[in-house]
Amino acid sequence: MSGLGPLTSRELKKWYRNPVSLLTGLIQPFFWLALFGSAFSKIAAFGPQLLDGAPNYITYILGGVLTIIGLFTALFSGVNLIFDRRLGVLGRFLIAPIRRSSIVFSKIFASSARILVQVGILILAALLIPDGLEFKHGFTVLDGLILIAAVLLVALIFTSIFTAIAVRVTRPDTIFGIINLVNLPLLFVSYAMFPPGLMAGWLSNAAKYNPVSWSAETIRTVVINGTLSASQMHSIGIWLSGLAILAAALLLMTYYVSEKEIRE
Amino acid sequence: MNMAAIIQTKNLTKIYGGKVKALDNLNIEIEEGEVYGLLGPNGAGKTTTINLLVTRISPTSGTAIVNGYDIVKQSLEVRKSIGVVPQDLTTDEDLSGYENLKMVSRFYDVPNAEAEERIHKLLRMVNLEDVKNRLVRQYSGGMRKRLELIAGLVHDPKILFLDEPTLGLDVTTRTQMWKYVREIQEKLDVTIILTSHYLEEVDALANRISIIDHGKVLATGTSDELKSNLKGDIIIVAMKTDEDAATIMKYPGAIEAKENGPKTVRLKVQNSDEELPKLIRFVSDNSLSVTRLTVQKPSLDDVFLEYTGKEIREEEPADMRQTMMNMRRLRR
Repeated sequence: MSGLGPLTSRELKKWYRNPVSLLTGLIQPFFWLALFGSAFSKIAAFGPQLLDGAPNYITYILGGVLTIIGLFTALFSGVNLIFDRRLGVLGRFLIAPIRRSSIVFSKIFASSARILVQVGILILAALLIPDGLEFKHGFTVLDGLILIAAVLLVALIFTSIFTAIAVRVTRPDTIFGIINLVNLPLLFVSYAMFPPGLMAGWLSNAAKYNPVSWSAETIRTVVINGTLSASQMHSIGIWLSGLAILAAALLLMTYYVSEKEIRE
Repeated sequence: MNMAAIIQTKNLTKIYGGKVKALDNLNIEIEEGEVYGLLGPNGAGKTTTINLLVTRISPTSGTAIVNGYDIVKQSLEVRKSIGVVPQDLTTDEDLSGYENLKMVSRFYDVPNAEAEERIHKLLRMVNLEDVKNRLVRQYSGGMRKRLELIAGLVHDPKILFLDEPTLGLDVTTRTQMWKYVREIQEKLDVTIILTSHYLEEVDALANRISIIDHGKVLATGTSDELKSNLKGDIIIVAMKTDEDAATIMKYPGAIEAKENGPKTVRLKVQNSDEELPKLIRFVSDNSLSVTRLTVQKPSLDDVFLEYTGKEIREEEPADMRQTMMNMRRLRR
C-alpha cells in the first residue's frame, strides 16, 4: 500500500505541530481523572464489592477512561478526511499512483498512534495524582499488552466506521451530528463509568453487548488483579476475541468502501 | 495513426447520470513535446476530457491511450507517467512547501537522492527556494500557484496537465506563470495539455489548439491556421467624401463591403497582405482621398465566435462556489 507512509507522517506532523491539540491532549487526561475521581468517589462507600475489588475509584475507572479516550479520538478520525476534501488536498492524493485505501488507512494509523500517546499520558497522570491508580496485585508485561490491545481494538472498530462514513460525506457538520448522536449512548450504555450493580437492569443487559464495555472490563480486570486466574483469562479471551473479530470485519469493510467509493 | 502521438483518444465518451452527454466520441491526438490547448465554453467538455485522461473518472464508452497505457485498464501506469496541476489548490497549508513536494515524491516512489535534487531544481526554477521551509499557509497567492505547478513535476512526468492554471490570478501573476510554464516546457522536455478560459493564455502558450463544444471537437490547428481558416481579413477605409465612399464600396477585390459609419467602409478580403497593394492602386486610379486605413487580422476571439457562436468572455466559470473559494484563498 504505497502512500501509507507519507500520508501517515503528514497526519502526525499536522497533529504534533498544532500547539493547541498538543496542550489539550496533555491536560484532558487530568480533567477526566480529577473530575470523575471526585464526582463518583462516593460509589466506593456502597461497598468495595461494587468496585470489583479495586482499592479506589480511580483504579476502578481507569479502564473506562482509557476506553473513552480511544473511543472519542476514533469518532473524530474521519473529520480530517472531510477537510482534506474541502480544502482540495484530497484531489492531489487521488491523482497520485497510490492505493485509494491508503488515504483512509493513514487516518486510522495516525489516530491509533495518537491514542497510544494519550494512553501513556493518562496512566502517568493516574499514578501521579493523590489517591490515584494503585496496582495492588502487580502489573505484568502481559497485562500491559492486553491493556493496549483492548484500547486499540475498540478504537479501530470506531475509526473504521467513522472514516468509512467520511469517505462519502462532504460536510463536516454531518459527521459532527452523527458523533453527537452516538457518543453518549455508547458511553452510558456501557460498563465504562459505572459498575453493573448500580445500573438499571435493562441498561446493564444492553451494556453487555457494547464493545465499549468489553474493552473497559478487560482493562479493569488486568489493572485490578495483576496476575490473572483461569476464569479471568477466559473472560478476557472472550472480550478480546469479540473486539478483534468486530475490528477485523469493519476494517475490511472500510478497505472496500475506500477503494471503491472515495472521490472528491 | 500518428506514430508520435503520446495521447490518443478513441471515441472517448462520458455520459453523466445516464443523460448528460459531456463528451461525445472524442477523437484527438496529441504529439510528444507539444503544448496543446483545449479551448471551449463552459460545459464544453474540457475538464471532463482532462479528468478522463488523468483517470480521475472513467469513461462511459471508448478509451484513450496515454503514454502507451490504456486509461481504463492501466490507470495506475497512466498516473505514474503524468503530472497534474488541477484547477483547485491541492497543497497542504499545514506543511512547508518543501514538505509538500517531498510527500508527493514519495507517492511516486522517487528515490530519495533523486527527489532531493529535483525538488531543489524545481524550487529554484519558480523562485521558491528562499521560502521552501515556510508553511504554505503563509504563502501569497502567486507563490502558492507556483508551488502547485511544480508539485505536478517532482516525479519527472512525460506529460503535464494544466487545468485552468491561472484562474483567479491577477494579470501580473498570470504573465509570470506563463513565463514559468514556457521555461518548464523548454527545460524539462514535457508534453503539456492546457485548458483555459483565457484566449490570450492559450494563444500565448499553445502550439496547437482544439476548440471543443458540446463534447465534440470543432476545429484543430495552430493559432495561425485557425485564424486563416476564417477566410478573410477586414480592411476599414475612411474616405474624405461620400462620393469617394460610394466608389470604394464597389471595389472589385472585396468579398463583402459594408458601410461602417459615416464615409467609412468595411471591406472583407481574402488576404489583406495581398489585397492591400491592389487597393492602393484602385484608390490612385480613381483619384480617391483616404483619411484613414486600418487592417484587422482575425483574433482567436473571432475564431472562437465563428465555431461556437459564443463570445468566450461571456462565460462564467462552471463552479462559482469553488472558484470563489479559490480566489479567497489566493488573495490571502
